[in-house]
This record gives sequence, structure tokens and C-alpha cells, in this order.
Amino acid sequence: MPTDGAAKRPASDDQPLAELRAILLGPEREAWESMRQRLDNPARRAEDIASVLADAVRLRSDAKLRRALQPLLEEALQLSVQSNPRMLADALFPIFGKAIRKAIASELDGMLQSLSQTLEQRFSWRSLQWRWEAIRTGKPYAEIVLLRSLLYRVEQVFLIHRKTGLLLQHVTDTAKTKDPEMVSGMLTAIQDFVRDSVSGAEGENLETVRMGDIGVVLTYGPDAILSGFVRGVPPRNLARVFQDTLDTIERQKAEALHSFAGETAEFDSCRPQLKACLVGQGKPDQRKATSWAAGALLFGVPALVILALAGWWIYSTAIERRWSNFALRLNSEPGIVLTGFEKRGGTHYISGLRDPLAADPAALLAAEDLPAGKATFHFEEYHSLDSRFATQRRLVELKEELQHRAFRFPTGSAAIPPEQRFLLDDVAAQMLSLIQAGSALGRNIMIEVRGNHDPAGAELLNSVLARSRAENVQAALISLGVPAVRLTSIPEDQGRETCAAVKEEERLFCRSASFRVIGVP
Amino acid sequence: MLKKKICMVGQFGVGKTSLVRRFVSSIFDDRYLTTIGVKIDRKDVSIDGKSLTLMLWDLAGEDDLAELNVAHLRGASGYVLVADGCRACTLDKAAELQQRITRMLGPLPFVLVVNKADLRDQWEVQFQQVAQYGWPTFETSAKAGSGVEEMFLGLGAALLRAHPASEVREP
Repeated sequence: MPTDGAAKRPASDDQPLAELRAILLGPEREAWESMRQRLDNPARRAEDIASVLADAVRLRSDAKLRRALQPLLEEALQLSVQSNPRMLADALFPIFGKAIRKAIASELDGMLQSLSQTLEQRFSWRSLQWRWEAIRTGKPYAEIVLLRSLLYRVEQVFLIHRKTGLLLQHVTDTAKTKDPEMVSGMLTAIQDFVRDSVSGAEGENLETVRMGDIGVVLTYGPDAILSGFVRGVPPRNLARVFQDTLDTIERQKAEALHSFAGETAEFDSCRPQLKACLVGQGKPDQRKATSWAAGALLFGVPALVILALAGWWIYSTAIERRWSNFALRLNSEPGIVLTGFEKRGGTHYISGLRDPLAADPAALLAAEDLPAGKATFHFEEYHSLDSRFATQRRLVELKEELQHRAFRFPTGSAAIPPEQRFLLDDVAAQMLSLIQAGSALGRNIMIEVRGNHDPAGAELLNSVLARSRAENVQAALISLGVPAVRLTSIPEDQGRETCAAVKEEERLFCRSASFRVIGVP
Repeated sequence: MLKKKICMVGQFGVGKTSLVRRFVSSIFDDRYLTTIGVKIDRKDVSIDGKSLTLMLWDLAGEDDLAELNVAHLRGASGYVLVADGCRACTLDKAAELQQRITRMLGPLPFVLVVNKADLRDQWEVQFQQVAQYGWPTFETSAKAGSGVEEMFLGLGAALLRAHPASEVREP
């Protein structure tokens, strides 16, 4: 076999072949050797891969590579967070800080909305103005209320290097400031102090410091602190304004802040941004006056309203009491029965039964000093069984009866004709009854006896006749027991129309003595 | 304007607060030291026509009970080590503090101050003891006022040397 033959060939025979091989394959063999060394040496292999890795990854940008890298990257991130969380936090701060603040702002907006609904119920002149402003500016009503209710002024703003506590910039709108360099350092120191004092506050920051009317608002970035001294009550969004300003500065001056070695001139260009933070509303110095006024408004107005209401209540109660007293008095009045007493629209409607002889309700109203225009009366007539009214009615009847009685006389005579003498007893009895009934009612009854004559005959004679007729009847009645003091004789009935009868039978009625009762209504 | 944060450290009672009291601008009461553990003062120095503001963080002195609050050291550009010439142990404490600060913040410019020079005859601290460290050292007397101004100037110069000249701007 040729291979066996070759194996048995002496070494001297191989010399020319080796030379030939060296001539033919020499350069390739060197290249192969170099390749072999590169493949065997891990350091060389790493160098080779490193030089093409970026291009290789770019070429292989499919899902397979991403899937392969994903667990590695996750693990690497986890390790990084465990070993140095601050680095990742600082890197993500510019993105997350803003997003978180936005989320919180939207949450606050929601709260403002619900506050809005609560405040909807409030009504005042100022709230109307605010409501108008809310409509005009398109802002929620609650935000306007918050903005307008707060009086504050940012008096000083400090931009502080976080690591050293050194003051980078300071702006103020007041002449009275203590050394801001030291204040800046002390603010940083106090922050450390608070963090040290509160266990578990690692990574937390002191956000506000308050002393009476002055407050300190602190906002933080990775390398700087923005702090403001605020007089009055700052609105909640002030910290947001500060934080936005600080974020901008951190972004613009990231490198300068990071490598800060004490030179503050680099931050001079931040002054306009810091000055923009010197915001404010109203004059906090006037807060006391305003709070006094607010206090007066808060307590004074309700107090006045309560006083006015109390006064009105007392007055109306007194008036109502007088009306009910009036109703009681009406009801207790003889001859009046109340069936209805009610108030509608400021007018009292009073209804019932009333004896014509009873007191006049309108007169009683005037006596009570109540306004007549505020009462409407509706009374049905009835006859009361009250003894006083019965007596009074009897008195009126007796009066009427008596006034219809008369004595007739012949022509030219003043003597009571015999056929009429029997009437005397009857009239005397009537008179006595009348006087008695009058006395029962406390009335002083007087009876006039009036003499009359016919139109015929001489005037002088007629006059004498009339007087005589009256006197004769008076005397006859006195003789029958009628008290003389109650009787008066009047010669001629002056009030009576002249008896103009022309016929004899008519003249008979003119020649008479008649009666008029005085003291009975 | 160039500003630097400087910490004053040393054992309790070596006179750190007294040392700066007459030579610096201060708006805060000494009570800050005992309440929140730090008081900040300001010292302006001028070296070769360059203005430098030193914000001095006077840290409550370390003793057996209270340890130095390392949070206050963060961001310092230099420090003043204070020892009491009458008590040798305060120099040891200063050396210990120097080592701790160097471990924590790296090598920073600093000066050693041996205070109470007015009580020189009662000193326990010997020249050799101080010299062995090879640090820039100042003998001061807070009571008499000697050496304090020089100490601040020396520290300022050290800070400016550490601070690259190109970054220093005229005020």
C-alpha cells in the first residue's frame, strides 16, 4: 500500500518534500499559526469581539437578542440598585421627579374639585367675585378661593449647593437680611440635624420650617437645594414653582453643580430664574388688620344677624302676644263669641257672633293700640242671653213703648179728659219699669213730658195750653208715684215738626202730651 | 466669588469656639453647638489679592460620649484640627481625627492649631510631639488673639494651592 511504502521511506527522502512544502505552504502556515494563537488566547479573542460587538449588536437587532439580553440587564440593574441606589435615583430623577409631581398635581386638582363642590354652597359678595373670576379665567373655583384667601410674600430665595451647604446665589426683595452665606450653611446643617434626629428618615428631606408668620420652603434636586423665606401663608403650589425652577437650574447647570469647587460666579446667570421665585400676593403686613377684619366679618356679621333675628323674634312675639290678648279679650267680651282667629299674610282674620249691643271690636282694637289695617272682622249678628243685654233690650222696648204713648186733649183745654185718666196708671207703671231697668244698668233715666197744641188759635194761648198740658200730666204722674226728679215738663216739643193737621180728627193728635226718654241709646 | 467649606474639629473643650469667636462674622449663638451640634460662621480672607470666603462649620467637640457627626463633614474643602496645648491627649485625638477624615474624604488641606498659647508654661504638649507629624502648625491664643489671623491665612493659602489656579477668578 502506498501509505505503508511512504511510512517506510527513509527520513533523508523527506527532506526535499519538507522543503517543497515550506516553499508552497510557508505563508499560509504562518497565518494559520497566528489564527490558532488568536483562537486559543481568550484575551485576544475578547479584543476581537469587542471591536465588532457594537456592529454585531446593531446588525442583530431582532427579538432573539433582546430576549437573550433581558435577564442579564435586569440582573445588572438589580445589582446596581442594591449596591448604589443613589446613582440610579439621580439618573432617573429628571424624568420621575416631574412625572410624580404631575401625578400629585392632578390628584390635588381632584381634591380641589371636591372642595369646589363644598364651597359651592357658600354665598357672599366676595365669593360672587371669585366665582366670576373662576368663570373668566377658566380655573376651578376652589383654586381661586385658595389663591385669593392667602396672603404671602417670598422675601428671600437661596440656591444652595447640596453637598457643601455653600450658597450659590441669593436674591431678596427686602433690605433686612442676615448674612445669607451663614443662613445657607445653617439651613443645610439643620436639615442634617433633623434627619439625624428622626430615625428612618434616610432619603427624606425637610420640606418646610415654620416660625410664627415666617416659613421656610425647601425643595431638593440631586445637587442643589432651593429655599425660600416666606412671610404669610404660602399656597400649596409655591413648592411646585420652586421645584420647577430648581429642576431647570439642575438641568442647565448639571456639570457646574457636579464639579462645584467653591466658585459661585458660574451661577450668576441663574439670578433671573431665582428672582422669578420672589412671588407674593397682598401685603402680609396687613394680615393682622385683614385677620381682624376677617374675624370681625366671621364673628361680627353672624352676631349682628343673630342679634337682629333675636330682636325681630322678641318684637314679633310681643306683637303676637298682644293679638292673642286681644282675641282673649274679645272672647271674654259679653255678646261676642269668637269662632275664628287666624293670621294670613300679615293680616288677622277674626270671625264670630256678635250681639248688636256688644262692644265694637274695632274700638277694642284701637284701645289695644293694634293697627286697624291688620285686622279684618266678620261677625254674624245674634242675641246674647246675657242678663245685661236682656235688660238693655227691655229698656229699649220700654222706651219705644213709652215714646209711643200720648194723652189727647179737647180744643182749648189743658185738663186731662176723664176718659184718658185710666191711661195714667198704665203710663206711670211703664215709667217706673223703665226707671228700674235703667237703674239696673246704672243709667240715669230722665223722662221729658212734652206739651203740644194744634196749629189753630192764637200763638200765645197755644203756648200756655201746651205748657199746662205738660205740667198737668207731669203732676198726675208724680201723684201716681213716678219720682219727680225723673220727670221734666217741656212746654212745647221744639224738635217736633209743626202740627199741620187741618182736619178735626187729625188735630186731636196734635193737642197732646207725649214723652221723650233721655239716657237710653 | 470663591467660597470654601471648612470644618473646625477637635476634642471637647480645646477652644474651637473661642478661637473663632473674635475673628469671624457670626449671626448664630453658641448655643447652636450644644443644641444641633454645629454652628456656622464666616471668615473672609484675602491672599495675594484674591478673596476667599471660608464658611466655618464649628462642629461640637468629640468626647467620650459624643461622636463627631460625619454628615457635617460632607463637602468640606479643608479643616482646622484644634488641640489644647495644656492637654497632650487632645493632640492624640487631633491625630486620630485627621486619620478618620482622610479615610472619609481623602487628603484635604488642613492646619493644626495648638491653642492656649497664653498658658505656655503649663503646656503638656512638646515641640517634638507636634513636629513628628510634619503638618502646618500654628500656635494660637484665643484669649490673647495671637496666631489666629495667621492660621486662617495659612489655611486659605493651602486651599488656593489645592484649588487649580485656572478656576480662581477675581472677585
